[in-house]
Amino acid sequence: MSVGSVTNVPDSSVSAGNGVGVECRSVTSGYLGSRVLHQISFRITEPSIYVVLGPNGAGKTTLFRTLAGILRPYEGEVYIGGEPIDRQSSRDRLHYLTHMDGLPDGLSVREALDFFARAEGAQSRDVERVLDQLEIRDLGAKFPSQLSAGQRKRVSIARVFLRERSIYLLDEPTANLDPKVAREIRELILKLSHEKIVLYSSHNLFEAREIGRYVLVIKSGQISRFDRIENVRGSRYVLGIRVLQPSPALAAYDHEGEYYLRELSGPEEVPAVLRELMAQGVEVREAREMENPLEDLFT
Amino acid sequence: MVRRASVTGRFFLVYGTAISLVLGVLLAHFSGPSFASSYPLFLPIFGVVGSMGGLTVFTSDRTKGVLEYLIAYGYSPRRLFANVLLTTLVLVSIIVGFGVSVSLGVYFAEGNTVTSTLAISMGVYAVPMTFACAAFASTVGVYWTALSTPRMGINSPVGLIPFIGILPALATVFAIVAATLSGPLSTTTLLLILGSAMGLVAIFVIVLLVSMGRLLRRERFLSPA
Repeated sequence: MSVGSVTNVPDSSVSAGNGVGVECRSVTSGYLGSRVLHQISFRITEPSIYVVLGPNGAGKTTLFRTLAGILRPYEGEVYIGGEPIDRQSSRDRLHYLTHMDGLPDGLSVREALDFFARAEGAQSRDVERVLDQLEIRDLGAKFPSQLSAGQRKRVSIARVFLRERSIYLLDEPTANLDPKVAREIRELILKLSHEKIVLYSSHNLFEAREIGRYVLVIKSGQISRFDRIENVRGSRYVLGIRVLQPSPALAAYDHEGEYYLRELSGPEEVPAVLRELMAQGVEVREAREMENPLEDLFT
Repeated sequence: MVRRASVTGRFFLVYGTAISLVLGVLLAHFSGPSFASSYPLFLPIFGVVGSMGGLTVFTSDRTKGVLEYLIAYGYSPRRLFANVLLTTLVLVSIIVGFGVSVSLGVYFAEGNTVTSTLAISMGVYAVPMTFACAAFASTVGVYWTALSTPRMGINSPVGLIPFIGILPALATVFAIVAATLSGPLSTTTLLLILGSAMGLVAIFVIVLLVSMGRLLRRERFLSPA
């Protein structure tokens, strides 16, 4: 992996040289003349999950729409696999899951998947496969109006598994899903990311930390950080410890719910703290980082 | 898309087809030869109302993000518009097909014969004007939907377009009435008025279809949600 040239931020290029990638060159984009993204540049070619984070209105969806070729940049260029995005061959390399369900009215789930399959050049056997893969076969005869929000999202996600592509743009794919389904979807996406480039936007920072390998932060239409997630360190590191029995050894710790809290200079201090507590007879049930360092990226 | 439009806009389709059938049969049975001058005036109205399914699907697809999905996979706005137009014309064919064939069947079964008035009013005015009005309605509807924020009910494009869609038919009738004020209307003048009206609608639809890429930016097809 190499981290190389940049335009408006340091470290905005990730490359493994597999030839199929996403590249923005000084892209300014938006809606009806109103500029949302300003001179964005980055290049990605390494298969992995890139979590796109940013506050509401920062430009995450605009970035996805621009990468998908829906919005034409006012300035700059978008390249997919080395070709401009306005070529059909570029579009055929990517899947785009919008933040909306995008399920057509008047079609049952199975018919909707047939509709997507025709639009993407997939086969009816692919529809059968995703009905099982996403465990939605029993919803096949239902119409979108008869589905819960989570079921609609699941059907919506099924369409990105109809055909294999190199690049996946997933705009909040686990929004409105219950934890079990969200975890299953994340597992599917994690499997994908071994060979594919996945850009994944989410408001869930714990999910972002769990699934992402890189983080791409957008603030006010510009990339404020593009880095490996493990390089993102919070301004403070708070260790939370749950114990089986309260102990006088924890008297100096702050308390929050079931957790005893202690601020450390970094995760490297954790083993020593735990050894010290156990030496004093404290039976530790769980130890975790209480604050998500990704939160700092929003401030 | 025709099937989706038939399902989503089933109320419109059933209403348009049923009323054109019932009114056609009643006029053919009770009004005798004046059927030839009365039924053609109503047919474009039922055609426009009945074929709203195409526009309904377009409006729903925009709101629900389906258009965004299709554009991402390479569908151009012009292609999306052409689909709506084609769907509308197929739905109109159903309404016109049922309405005209059944009512003419009743008309002839009553012992009436083919006259030049009937041939012109049905063949040159009613049927082509119904298609023209429906195409006009769907064209205005697509542009209006794309240019406005989504809203539902009678104040939405789908609610108001039927009133706008019949404007070409109304304008043509007014032109014919105006022409008769200066004396008896010759067949040539009548055909000229009808041909001009249809030609203008055809030019309007084609120009807006071809110019769609320039007149409407892609972001007009995205859901604002």
